[in-house]
Amino acid sequence: MQTGDPMLELLGWLLKATLQMATPLVLTALGGMFSERTGVVNIGLEGMMLVGAFSAVAGTYYSGSPWLGLIIAVLAGGALAGAHAIVCVKFKGNHIVSGTGIILFGMGSTTLGLQVVWGKQGLSDSVERIPEVVIPQIQGVPMLGTAFGSLSPLIYYMFIITVLSWYVLYRTPFGLRIRAAGEDPSTLDAAGVSVEWTRVIGVIISGCLAGLGGAYLSIGFENAFGKGMTAGKGFIALAALIFGNWTPIGCFLAGIFFGFVTGLQFVIPILAPGLVTLTNLVKIIPYALVIVALAGIRRSIPPKGIAIPYEKEKKA
Amino acid sequence: MTEESPEEEYVNKKGGFNLRVIYDRIIGKLSDPSFHKTAIWSTGSIILALVVAAVVMVMTGYNVGLAFLTLLWGAITQFDRVLFFGTPLIFTGLSVALAFKCGLFNIGPEGQLYMGAMAAAIVGYMFSLPIVIHQLTALLFGAFAGFLYGLLPGILKAYRGTHEVVTTMMMSYSALLFTAWLVAYPLKDTTQTLDRTPEILATAELPKLLGPFLNLSLIIAILAVIGVDYLINRTVLGYEMRAVGQNPTAAETAGVNPKKNIALALGIAGALAGLGGSGEILGYHHLFQDNWSTGLGWDGITVAVLGNNNPWGVLAGAIFFGALRAGGIQMQRIAGVPLEMVRVIQGLIVLFVAAPRAIDWLSKRGVDYAIWLKRDRVPALVHLCTSGIAGASAIICLTVFGSFSTMMEAGVVGSGGSVTLLLFLTSLISIYALIELLMRKPRGLILLVFAAIEWLLISAMGYVARSMVIVGQSLVFGVVMLLMVVLVVKVFPETPVDSGGDN
Repeated sequence: MQTGDPMLELLGWLLKATLQMATPLVLTALGGMFSERTGVVNIGLEGMMLVGAFSAVAGTYYSGSPWLGLIIAVLAGGALAGAHAIVCVKFKGNHIVSGTGIILFGMGSTTLGLQVVWGKQGLSDSVERIPEVVIPQIQGVPMLGTAFGSLSPLIYYMFIITVLSWYVLYRTPFGLRIRAAGEDPSTLDAAGVSVEWTRVIGVIISGCLAGLGGAYLSIGFENAFGKGMTAGKGFIALAALIFGNWTPIGCFLAGIFFGFVTGLQFVIPILAPGLVTLTNLVKIIPYALVIVALAGIRRSIPPKGIAIPYEKEKKA
Repeated sequence: MTEESPEEEYVNKKGGFNLRVIYDRIIGKLSDPSFHKTAIWSTGSIILALVVAAVVMVMTGYNVGLAFLTLLWGAITQFDRVLFFGTPLIFTGLSVALAFKCGLFNIGPEGQLYMGAMAAAIVGYMFSLPIVIHQLTALLFGAFAGFLYGLLPGILKAYRGTHEVVTTMMMSYSALLFTAWLVAYPLKDTTQTLDRTPEILATAELPKLLGPFLNLSLIIAILAVIGVDYLINRTVLGYEMRAVGQNPTAAETAGVNPKKNIALALGIAGALAGLGGSGEILGYHHLFQDNWSTGLGWDGITVAVLGNNNPWGVLAGAIFFGALRAGGIQMQRIAGVPLEMVRVIQGLIVLFVAAPRAIDWLSKRGVDYAIWLKRDRVPALVHLCTSGIAGASAIICLTVFGSFSTMMEAGVVGSGGSVTLLLFLTSLISIYALIELLMRKPRGLILLVFAAIEWLLISAMGYVARSMVIVGQSLVFGVVMLLMVVLVVKVFPETPVDSGGDN
């Protein structure tokens, strides 16, 4: 570490850890938002993240370029979401059951993939990471240098995607359709827009973003895929979505908050080195705080048409 | 979900405990149309999942035939293991099913199972009690720990509206970390290197039934099935839970307290999962080791979904999954297919069960096709052959793709990247064409032309690579496909397709 006030340095580290932990959560929560605003519940985010994380590493391993890996991860997440969309929208299945199937498929196929590609049980070979954005001018500054000196570009994308989501959702006709599909599908239908397609596209966007979030975990933050490496982040993102009241800005703030809570576990051992034996208990804190946060808010309001399959009226 | 059929009610009123009544009741259940539907959906989903799993295996370069044979063989020959693997799934499946009856989705039975197992292990090795009492106390504590662990999200759901999917999952991860900490520090058996508790006392062990695996927890599980069935269908509490599950506001208007029922339902669900965990520890493991369960909670969700949340369906589903696991171990040993394949199959089953209409739709297509085949034999046969070609093309593409990618990995083939990609694309197009052809849409024919062009491209690539096998095979495929398309369009212009109906 650089010289300087150790307290400031620590704050810098905490800020960095918050951003790092929040990025996958915010991306995935925004994805979930696109799905749920169109009226399709998506608890399969966890599975889509896992598949994204895996295919990012596998793509990088085969192609040699982490950027290609990133694209493959986004496509893979989207493809898995496509399956969810077909079950939920075309065949009008139970959204939660289908989502569970997606999670199980994600867990199974990625551990299977570990064995098929690398012949390993728990951890893949390490691959090249997405190069970090280094800002040399800022690195000398005490706190900001530690926090922003060298960050994964995906963290910056996260900010851009948040703003973009807000713009798309509230300022474009497509966003209006998304919101209408979730709130009042029959009106959307009467306006001559296909509710089914709007929903399918919303779900696929959610898979793409969840895949991106997963890819950040495996080739942005780490440099390999580990079995079950998302460790419930898909569900925390789901909680962030509910906590953020299904709005882009809310998702962003809730994601940052949960990211901060998760980041704390890296700082606590530095503050109190005697607590090594309690590492596992410290790791519980974010999960517990998610529950407390969800229980503490006023009843948040989901989109009105959520989880209700839209039956088109028969022509007379 | 499944409503009681009228004849069953009638049988119940007669009451009495004789074989005739039980027989009538079983026959009544079996001839119930809703039972038929569920059975068809479940079986259809299993078949579809196995088909997709076969495709995955072909793509990853495994021997599908050997894999399924060993899977089946392992499941048939090791019946004790099937039941042994199925036992905890009965408990976790019941846990999910019971919560579902009350409209709640308990996806955290894994954590409740861990807490119950931990409590049972603690009672098992810390206290010394006489033989029957010790086992009962341990089971009771296990169930109680699970009950409390399920009650908390239940209360949060009932009084704060907190989404139970998120809370049960978060608590599940917490339970895993918490028990890992317990066995790593305060409760660690210091004579061992692995993180585990000391072994439980002999007085707490559940007696074995047959062989080294089966133990008394199987009997308890079957009793639990009967108990949950009774609770749901024959008691006031069960009736209220179902009412809340179907429509909470209507239930409240009718004087049912939804909050109490929601909290209790998740609590009892937790208790069932906890009981399952204690049964595993007391009956087989005899100590609590870090990470001992291999996703029994997740399997429970699948079992409940497959059994349509009916206790007897859960029993059947659990035995099926026990068979899948026992067979899967055999499959891993002999065919070399990783056990994770079972998890993939599981995910696919749940996905398909979620969409019963997909099965209906497929069977309707099949019936349509059969009727058409009977009515106008010749055009239908030609069409069927075309579909067959599309299917064969898809299968061969996938097989070649699978072996190619493994060869590339082994370094046998240096630069087959473009061929592999082309093969993959062709297989995708062929599958799509097959689906469209089965729906008897003209688009299928157009797609088939594309597939044929791809085959010709592949043969050109094979010519460049001087592999006469590839050239011959793909040329034949491409030409036959084109011929079939021409035949369907030219000779039988009336065949495609408007008779296929909508949807």
